[in-house]
Amino acid sequence: MASVTQPQIGIQAAERAQVQSRGRVRAVLTYVVLAVVCLIIIFPIYWMVTISFKTPHDIYRAPSLVPHNMTLDNFRTLIVKKRFLTNIRNSIIVATSSTVISVTISALCAYSLVRFKYRFQGLIGRLILLAYLTPASLLFIPLSVIVARLQLGNSLHGLIIVYLSFSTPFSTWLLMGYFRGIPADLEEQAMVDGTTRIGALVRILLPLSLPGLVAVSIFTFTGAWNELLLALIFITSENKRTVPLGLQYLITGDTFLWGPIMAGAVFSALPVMVLYFLAQRFMVQGIAAGAVKG
Amino acid sequence: MAARQGNSVLGPQSSALTVRRPFWTFSRRGSLTGYLLVIPVCAVLLTLVAYPFFYAIVISFTDRVVGNAGHWVGLQNFRYLWNFVSFKRALTNTLTLVLVSDGLKLVVGLSLALLLNERLRARGMFRSFILLPWAMPGFVAFLTWRLLFLPIGGAFNLILTQTHIHAGIIDWLGQRSTAMPAVIVATVWRGFPFWCISFLAALQNVPQEQYEAAKTDGANAWQRFWFITLPSIRHVILVVALLSSIWTANSFENIWLMTQGGPSDATMVLPVLAYFGLASQRLGEAAAVSVAIIPALAILVFIVAALLQKD
Repeated sequence: MASVTQPQIGIQAAERAQVQSRGRVRAVLTYVVLAVVCLIIIFPIYWMVTISFKTPHDIYRAPSLVPHNMTLDNFRTLIVKKRFLTNIRNSIIVATSSTVISVTISALCAYSLVRFKYRFQGLIGRLILLAYLTPASLLFIPLSVIVARLQLGNSLHGLIIVYLSFSTPFSTWLLMGYFRGIPADLEEQAMVDGTTRIGALVRILLPLSLPGLVAVSIFTFTGAWNELLLALIFITSENKRTVPLGLQYLITGDTFLWGPIMAGAVFSALPVMVLYFLAQRFMVQGIAAGAVKG
Repeated sequence: MAARQGNSVLGPQSSALTVRRPFWTFSRRGSLTGYLLVIPVCAVLLTLVAYPFFYAIVISFTDRVVGNAGHWVGLQNFRYLWNFVSFKRALTNTLTLVLVSDGLKLVVGLSLALLLNERLRARGMFRSFILLPWAMPGFVAFLTWRLLFLPIGGAFNLILTQTHIHAGIIDWLGQRSTAMPAVIVATVWRGFPFWCISFLAALQNVPQEQYEAAKTDGANAWQRFWFITLPSIRHVILVVALLSSIWTANSFENIWLMTQGGPSDATMVLPVLAYFGLASQRLGEAAAVSVAIIPALAILVFIVAALLQKD
């Protein structure tokens, strides 16, 4: 008996070894591919950061992959000469205001669409989705006429209002997915105890969905922070330019300002990227369950 | 669903209430509050999305310029565009950009998602890493890519000359043959993380037992991919592909910040052409440029909206 099973075990062991070595080759290949992908991802970011610390001489005359003389001159030029802090301030005002407005009204709307029952409810939900999918490039020409007629051109509050056109449907759609994932039992109990519908929203649903609200606010904020096309159309004076607008005027103005431009890029990307990383878990869940799959 | 809630909330009292107050019942009051809550968002959508959308169509049939409302000219703007070289270029370039860059995003995103779905050490780290281009503001990404492609100060020319692969300087964004591929590379770099992460999330919902059953039945890796993986993530692939096509067809900042449509219209796309139309104050023709793609866009939008609402 033992003499019969012995060779079989030997064969199994050999097979296992073969499978293991094949697995090891596969694992090594996987890591090599992933390393190359990481390199492709990191290289532009590396270049952006190093250029922002390089002198003009090191950028154009003696270029090298590794920076030699690090300097803060680019940041100084950007902030002192190009008044970049004004752009930052304008962007903070516009992005914060449009986020607060759109998340507030979106939360009310999403609550109504998810928890109430009335006529035209499905229609409103469908229109919100269609509005979310309607790109700004279709709307900017009529919006420019409307904004001019309302005399809101070249003003930050005009920009805040116009930004609601994309931030509101987006945040309503995300919040609907999030609210749907929270069971209604607690709100129902609170209403049995005499709380109003609005009380149930404010005291039960909103605290329970705080992580979702924070994430939606982050996405809405970054959406407004990153917006270029509408700002380009509506803002004409220099002291009202937002961050993307300020940087785009630096490339069209002078050809040899890449140091300060990349300093501005680092400056404006850093806070947004930190926020995104805080919110990424929610977005991945949203893609898996709610936001993209419905 | 909310009606069911209303009943369960009121439970035993509800019948008494409805008898005493047949008109002002809970559900009616609920629906009134419901309507009130959606008013602000509906007002925003009507004034800032629906009205401008139809207004754009109206403007496209007039010879409106800035400062003059103009007259109804019928299809004149569209007839003009049909013979306008820049418009034809913009149309084909937009189509090329969508098909090539979204095709590449599909291939790269799906293969990476499959790799990351294997049992890996440091998978979470890789996943966060892949999100970097997507977390970056678009304007920062495309400004950086413009810099990378520059003849002087650009990294790619530096690498090519230092490794002696190519002796001369290549003006990637300044010559017709390389400008579009360069823009596509940058667009894919910025866009593939969204695809990859969506696919990865979908892959992790595929039941593991199916793979084990297929393995015991002797299915090889390719068969497992074709008969189990692909059908279970088909829905997500379709949704992401449609969403991304809509976004790419209407993307402005990638072209604007890298080439502004140049050299000689080699990278001109419809949103940039419409912007130039607006900048030259010819509103009728500019509106016609963006209205011209509404039929194609509407098909994509309605399909993706139906898919998203299927749940």
